[in-house]
Amino acid sequence: MTELKYVGKNSRPEDGLEKVTGKARYVGDYFVPEMLHAKVLRSPLPHARILKLDASPALQVPGVLAVITAEDFVNHSNFGWPVKDAYALAWKKVRHVGDPVAAVAAESEESAQAGIQAILVEYEALPVVSDIHHALDQDMPIIPDTEVPGTGNLTNTHLVRFGDPDPILENCDVVLEETYFFKHQEHAYLETEGALAIPEPDGGLTVYANDQSPFVNRDNLVMLLGLPTEKVRVIQAYVGGSFGGKDDIGYQIAAQTGALALKTQRPVRLVLTRTESFLASYRREAMELKIKLGASKDGELKAAKVNLLADSGGYASMTPLSSWRATVHAAGAYRYQAVHVDTKSVYTNNGYSGAMRGFGNTEGIGAIEQAVDELAYRLKRDPIDIRLQNCLTSGDVTMTGNTVNHAVDLAECLRMVRERSDWDRKRSKYASVQTGNLRRGIGVACYFHGSSLGGEGADYATTSIKIEEDGSITLTSGLTDYGQGSRTVFMLIAAEELGIDIARIRIMRPDTQTGIESGPTVASRTTMVGGNATRVAAQRLNQVLYWAAAKELKCQPNQINRHGELFYSPNEESLNFDEVASLARQMGLSLYVQGKWQMPIFTWDFDNGTGVPYHCYTFGAQVAEVEVNLESGKTQMLGVWAAHDGGRIIFPQGAFGQMYGGVAMGIGYALTEHMSYHQGYPQALNFHEYHIPSAKDIPPIDGNFIQTDHVDGPFGALNLAEPMMISTAPAIANAIFQATGKRWRTFPLTPQVILTGSDNPDLDTSDACKKGLGILA
Amino acid sequence: MKSEFTLNGKTIKVEAPERMSLLSLLREQLWLTGTKCGCDTGDCGVCSILFDGKLVYSCLVPVSELEGHQIITIEGLQKADGKLSDLQESFLRNGAVQCGYCIPSMILAGEALLLQNPNPTRGEIREGISSVLCRCTGYQQIIDAIEETARKRKAQSKNQAEKDMESA
Repeated sequence: MTELKYVGKNSRPEDGLEKVTGKARYVGDYFVPEMLHAKVLRSPLPHARILKLDASPALQVPGVLAVITAEDFVNHSNFGWPVKDAYALAWKKVRHVGDPVAAVAAESEESAQAGIQAILVEYEALPVVSDIHHALDQDMPIIPDTEVPGTGNLTNTHLVRFGDPDPILENCDVVLEETYFFKHQEHAYLETEGALAIPEPDGGLTVYANDQSPFVNRDNLVMLLGLPTEKVRVIQAYVGGSFGGKDDIGYQIAAQTGALALKTQRPVRLVLTRTESFLASYRREAMELKIKLGASKDGELKAAKVNLLADSGGYASMTPLSSWRATVHAAGAYRYQAVHVDTKSVYTNNGYSGAMRGFGNTEGIGAIEQAVDELAYRLKRDPIDIRLQNCLTSGDVTMTGNTVNHAVDLAECLRMVRERSDWDRKRSKYASVQTGNLRRGIGVACYFHGSSLGGEGADYATTSIKIEEDGSITLTSGLTDYGQGSRTVFMLIAAEELGIDIARIRIMRPDTQTGIESGPTVASRTTMVGGNATRVAAQRLNQVLYWAAAKELKCQPNQINRHGELFYSPNEESLNFDEVASLARQMGLSLYVQGKWQMPIFTWDFDNGTGVPYHCYTFGAQVAEVEVNLESGKTQMLGVWAAHDGGRIIFPQGAFGQMYGGVAMGIGYALTEHMSYHQGYPQALNFHEYHIPSAKDIPPIDGNFIQTDHVDGPFGALNLAEPMMISTAPAIANAIFQATGKRWRTFPLTPQVILTGSDNPDLDTSDACKKGLGILA
Repeated sequence: MKSEFTLNGKTIKVEAPERMSLLSLLREQLWLTGTKCGCDTGDCGVCSILFDGKLVYSCLVPVSELEGHQIITIEGLQKADGKLSDLQESFLRNGAVQCGYCIPSMILAGEALLLQNPNPTRGEIREGISSVLCRCTGYQQIIDAIEETARKRKAQSKNQAEKDMESA
C-alpha cells in the first residue's frame, strides 16, 4: 500500500472547534421564537392499570396550550422494535416507575409542570414483578399486553448448540459450576434526553433530537403521527453522549414533542431532568449467568454450559437482541469441544432495559472471564497462561461452532499486557502473604466481540459525496456521531481515498432530508460499515475524475498518476483537482456519488442455535491492578493495561479516547455504579446516589492497539467503541480476588459488598420517585 | 432583583429573580449556552464557571450572590481575534473531546487549576478536574491536554523572563 496521508495520522475531531468554544448546539441549547416547553406526567407506580385518565384539567392551567395522551396517536402510540410492545404514552397500564402517561405543552416550564400536576389519573396498583427468578411463575401478573414472542412474562429465548457438552463434562478432570450476577447499569451520559419539534407550514414536522438513529426516529414519527414520510424531517443535534442509550427513549420523546407541536402549531421542546432520565429511560439489563465449565487437569478447556437469565424490565426494547449477543459470546474467546447456552429474558417491573455499550457481551464476558480465572486458581495455573493455552487464533472454531477465518492477535494482546503491566513480578509478589488493611492484587480478562450487527439485522450504510461549484466537498452519512468520532473517521477516509486536502471536506449534520437511510447507528458498526461506504463513494467519484483527467490529458484513466491533488499523464503533463472537477462537469458527468456497503451475508439459525453469528470479531485483553482497603471496603484502582486488536486505526486520538472511556465505564461498572430495584422502585435517582467515576477514580491507563489490517475493513479498520469496556470489570474482579482471596460473583463490587457480601439497599424510594417526577412537591 | 457584575470581562446589569441560578441566568436570559446543565443539583459539574477565578457550579449560585463578582464562562476564553486559547487548542490536539458536553467546564477547570498551580502533577490535575464528570473520555487525554498546556506556559514564561533579563 502506498504511504497514507490521513489514515492513522494525528488528526483533530471534525466538530472539535464548536465543542471547545461552547458553540456546539445540543437540544437544550435551542431557543426558537414561540417555543413551548413540554413536561411529561409519569407513573409513580411500578405496575398498575390506568382506570381513569382525565387530562382536560391541565388545559385550565394558565399557560398550558395542549395536553396529549395515547389517544392522540395512531394505534394508541404503540411502537417498538424488534418487539412492538412500547407506547409513546402509556395505554391502559403502566409497567415501570417513570412510564409516561400524558404530556403537556405550555408557555413556560413552570406552567407545564403545573399542567401535568392537574391531570387526573386513577391507578389500580397491580402486583409487582421484581425478581427475575419468579417472573415466569404461574401466579405472577402478566406484564405485556401486546403480542410478544414469548408467553406470559417471557420476553424471548435464545440458544447455542455446538456439540454435546454433557458427556464431555462428565469426563473432565475439573468442573466448575458457579453463578454470576450483574446489576443494571445506567448510561449516565452528561446530557439528558431531549427533542425540539417544529411544525412546518405544509403540515409536516422537523425534529431536532439527540437520538442515535434519525432515520429510525423519522420512521417512528411517520407511523405514530400518521404523516407521510416526506413531511417528517429529523435532524440530529449535537449529542452529549449516548452509549446505546438514546434509541427508544429518544423516539418516544420525539413522538411526544411532535404530537404537541402539531397540536399547538408551535415549536415544542422537551429536555428531561436528570432524575427523569434515570426513571424514564432504559438502562443495561441486569443478568444472571450460571456457568458449568470443564477442563482437563493440564488446563485445556473442554466444554461449557451456560444458563442465562436477563431482566428485560417493563418493555422488550433491545433485550431480545442484547441477550442474543450475550448468548453467542457466553463461553468466551476460547476453543471448546462443545458448548450449550440457554437464554431467557423476562419481563419485570424493574424499569426497562435496552441497549448499552457491549450489548450483553459485557455480562457474557464478565461472567466467563471470572469463571476461567476460578478454574485457573483450582488448577494452580497462572491466569494468563491458561488463557494463552485456550484462546482463539486464526482458523480456530469458536464456541458457536464457526471458524474464525481472519487474523487474530488475542495471544499477542495477552502477552503485551503481561509484559507491560509487569504481571509476573506483581502476580507473585501479591500472591505472598499480605498483612494490614491494604491488600493488592492484579487480574486479567480477555474478550472477543462480534463486529457490527451480525445476526441482529440488515447491515449496510450509504455515504454520499459531492463536489460543489466552489471546489469544496460535501459528505453525508446515514450513520451518526454522538461523540465517538465517526464524522472525523469518514472525512479522513474520504480525503485519503480521493487524494485531496481534507480542508475541502465538510460533513453535513445527520439529517433525514440530506442523508441516506443507513440503518441504526449501533453495534460499533460505524467505522467498518460507514467507513467502507465512504470509501466506495470516494472510489466512484475518483472514477469520474480520472475519466475527465484522462480525456484532457489524452491518456487512459489507469495511466494517470497522482501526487496530492495533481493528476499526471504518463508524459508528465498535469491538471489540478479543481481543473479536473471542472472538466468533468463540462463533460456532463455527475459530481455527486453515493457509495453503499453491506456486510457479507451469513446466517444464524435462531431456532436451532447454530450457524455463523458474525462475519468477524475484535479481540483484546486487559490487566487491572487494585488496592482493596479491608477496613472501608473501598477499592482503589492502581492501573489498567489494555491491548486490543481492532484492525487498522484510522483516527488515533479518537480510538484511544474510546479505549480510555471504555475502561473508565468498565471501572464504574465493576466498582461503584449501583442500579438495583426494590419492589420495582429504583434505588438510585441521580448522580449523588449513582456514582460514575471522576478523574480521581481512574488510574493511569496504558493503552495499546495491535494493528492487523482486516481484509474487509476500510484501510483494514475494524470497530472498537463497545469492546473497549468489556474486559475491564472481570479483570478488576479477578484482581480483587487476588487481593482479598474472596469472590462475590456480583457487580458492582461496592464497599458494602466487600465488607458484608451483599449490597441490596432495599429502600422505599416511592416518595423520592414521586418527588423526582414532580408529582409530589 | 437587579445585579451588576463582570461577565467575560464586561460589566453587565441584569434583572432576575434573586433565587434564579446563575446557570439559568446565563442560558435563558443571556443566551450563553456554552455552560451546560447536567443535573441541576450540584452533582455533575458540567455547569462549572469561573467565579473570581475559582471553579464553581453555576447551578448552585443564585443571582443574589453575583453583585460585584467576576464571572468567566467558556464564551470568555477565546481571544479577541477569535483565536482559541492554548488550552482549547491543546484539548483538540490531544483528543480530549468526544461528545463535548462536559468540555466547556473541563476547560474552565483546567484554567482554574493552572491559575492556582501553574505546575501541577498528573495527580494534582486529576484532583483539580474531579468536580466535573465526563462519561466519554476516561479523563486521560483531558489530563494530557492540561499537562501539556502547563508545560508550554512554563516554557513561555521562562522565555519571557529571559527576554526581560536581556532587555534590562
